[in-house]
Formats: sequence, structure tokens, C-alpha cells
Amino acid sequence: MLHVKNGEAVIPGQLLGEKIWHGINCFHEGDNVFSSTQGIVRVEKDRVKIIPSAGGYIPKEGDLVIGVITEILTGRWVVDIRSPCLCALRGEEVTRDPLTTDLSKYFKAGDVISAKISYVDEVNSCQLTGPWKLDGGIIIDVNAKRVPRVVGKKRSMLNIIKDKTGCKIVVGQNGWIWIKDNKVKLAIKTIRKIEREAQTRGLTNRITEMLDKEADG
Amino acid sequence: MAKDDVELIKNGKRLDGRKFDDLRKIKIEVGVLKRAVGSAYVEWGKNKVMAGVYGPRELHPKYLRDPTKAHLRCIYNLAPFSVEDRKRPGPDRRSVEISKVSAEALSSVVMLEKYPNAGIDVFIEVLQADAGTRCVGLTAASVALADAGIPMRDLVPACAAGKVSGEIVLDLMKEEDNLGECDLPLAIIPRKKEIVLLQMDGKLTKDEFKKACGLAVDGAMKVYEMQKEALLSSINNVRIEE
Repeated sequence: MLHVKNGEAVIPGQLLGEKIWHGINCFHEGDNVFSSTQGIVRVEKDRVKIIPSAGGYIPKEGDLVIGVITEILTGRWVVDIRSPCLCALRGEEVTRDPLTTDLSKYFKAGDVISAKISYVDEVNSCQLTGPWKLDGGIIIDVNAKRVPRVVGKKRSMLNIIKDKTGCKIVVGQNGWIWIKDNKVKLAIKTIRKIEREAQTRGLTNRITEMLDKEADG
Repeated sequence: MAKDDVELIKNGKRLDGRKFDDLRKIKIEVGVLKRAVGSAYVEWGKNKVMAGVYGPRELHPKYLRDPTKAHLRCIYNLAPFSVEDRKRPGPDRRSVEISKVSAEALSSVVMLEKYPNAGIDVFIEVLQADAGTRCVGLTAASVALADAGIPMRDLVPACAAGKVSGEIVLDLMKEEDNLGECDLPLAIIPRKKEIVLLQMDGKLTKDEFKKACGLAVDGAMKVYEMQKEALLSSINNVRIEE
């Protein structure tokens, strides 16, 4: 039995229902299901989950992330992907013989890359694959839980921003967004607006309107 | 021991006109610090406390890391200007103790197993103190943890009870704390009514203790409602902004 409605705001430890299926950010004790973070309830058929309004990034296999190289070790790099755990990029990703070649030829400390997470272990340490160096541009920092809204359904929101501002944008699931060329300031302003109003309806239309107005003026 | 020259209870009312089971005025604000992941500011009578949460982040020193769960650190600090005489800045015996008991109380609700090897830092800054700051600090810290989006089993409301001039009263203020007979701060998990922090300064008989404990739990439940209201309005404010 459900005790909450779809779209209702909840706090940690709030009772969501009894004898129901539950998804992310919920936990159960006996038959009772509770929320574990604050956020908005989503009810899908008989399953309930919480869309969190805040929180850090925990690596997941298959996510595209933006990282900064922090250190070169023998045969691998250490990458900062804005999560509390270790993240390594293996030298084999770029060269056949990582132990004898000078890895700084490919990526130096401080370089920005985009890569996919190929493997996450039980303590959330992860490995990257398919690194791509991002030259120039800037990185902005957004709430990792708001990233799906910045991208939009089938990348709709991101395509709108790219079209109207002419920027090159790479969105990392870890909440780092890399932007380069053309109207960078406008793109940042738009992303900040999306981040702020992530939990409102009809956001895509408002963003299109805003971009149209700003791009002309 | 109560001094004879100060009358703490007059005609069944306390110094500031409260009844025995009344709380002081409480105001909770959420998300006051921009740089912190989560934050809260609580005004509780004359107490003013700010709490900030950082993390989950990489934990240093490395020997504290635990591959089965995260490590929650709590730092309670009295500002030099928070009390009547200047407080010498830096950690002292009292603040180290309060940091420890607060961290333990919070660890019992935070789902630390979700962040192996990581560290979560909670900072409690007392800007103005007027008795019962550890309760205010815990109340603020648990709201800040929720604001940071850290998974928790419940919030931790806290409240104190005590004995003043032979009467068991709720939520002691400074004069009552200094001149009264006993102070009993207590923090609970509201859903299960489990006690996660219990300290006592002074003497109580068994019956008095039971009465004070019950009173403090009721007070903490009232605080919980206020925490809930503050958090829900902070989520809803974002959504209404159209």
C-alpha cells in the first residue's frame, strides 16, 4: 500500500508504503519501505523510487565522465573524476607497451579527458576506457544528480543548447561539463538555469525561449 | 545547586515565562552555505549554530579508511565570541568530547556502507551559545546531512531536559543550566524512538530520570517535526520557482 503520491517531496526516513516494490534511494525494514534521501517520489506501476535533489557522484559502469589527470604511475594514470574513490586509466588504452613508453607523451598531469567507465569494483574504484583528450575550453561544475536534466530525453536539451550557442559541449555523468568555442557565457548561463530549475515542468520550452531571446540580443 | 538569591521558578513559570514542558523558539534554515555540499542554520532561543557537510570525499589520513564503510568525522567548535568571556580558540577537552558523541550519534543513521573508503566531514560551528548547544548542533548537522543528499535511515533530532529548583523541565536555558541541579541532553531516532546520545550532568533519582527522559523524547519529537518542515519547504521552494 502506498502512502505517498507521485511527485511528492520526501525526507530521509519517511514511510513510503508497505509491501511495495522499491527502486533507488529506498530501503526496507520488514514490510515497510522508507526513503533514504530527500527528493521527489516517482511511482511507476507498483514500484516506487526517489529522485534525489542532491548528492555526490558514485561511478557506474558505462557512464561517460570527464576527468582530470592527476598523476602518472608506471603503466597507468590516476584520474580525478570527482568521486571519493580511486580511478585509473590503463596505459594499454593508448599504447601496446605502456611500461617502457613515456606515458606523458599522451596525457600529462592536468590534462582534461573524457572517457567511459569500463569497470567498477566493490569499493567503487574504477577503470576508464576510450580516453579522449579535450583541448582548451573550460569545465563547469554542476550537481551530479541534475545531469540527466541537462542532457534531456534523447539528448534533446543538450542539442538545443549546442544549436543555439554553437558551443562544443561534453557532459560527464559525474557533473563536470566541458564547454568550448562561441557563446560559452550563454551556454553556462543556460546550464546554471537548468540546474536551478531541474525539478520544474516545461523546462525545455522555457530554455528554448530564453536562448532565442538571448541569441538575438 | 540552586542559589537562594535567584528564583528560577516563579508561580509555576520559568524565568522567560515558559511552562515546564515548553521548548524555546526554534528556526531552521536549509542550504545557507554555497561552498558546502549541504548546510543548515539553526536558531534555538539564543543559540545560533551553523552546520556544514563536506563529502563523501577522499579520506585523509589514509589509515582511517575502511573498505567496508565510510568514516564520519564531526567537528564541534565554539566560536571565540560565542560565550560571555572570550573562548580560547581551538579544540579543547569539551569540544573534542562533543565532537565524538555527535559523530557517533550521526553514524548510527547515516548509511555509511554505501561509500566504502570515503570520508564524510560534518562541521558544527556555534556562533552564539546559550545552553544545550550539542542538541542544537546535532539537530543542525542532521538537517545538513539530509541537504547534502547523503543516504540516511532517519534524521536525528535532539533535546535536553533537566532539573531546576526541584522541578523537571524541558530545554534548559543558560541560567537554568548554570544554577540548576541537572542537565540531560538526549538525541533520538524518531521512527524507532531509539536513543543515540544520552549524557547527564548532575544528579537525578530513578523516577526523576524516567520523567526527564520522557520529557526530552517528547521535545525531540517536536524538533523532528520542525526539521521535517524545513527540509520539505526547501525542496518545494525549488519546484515552485517558475
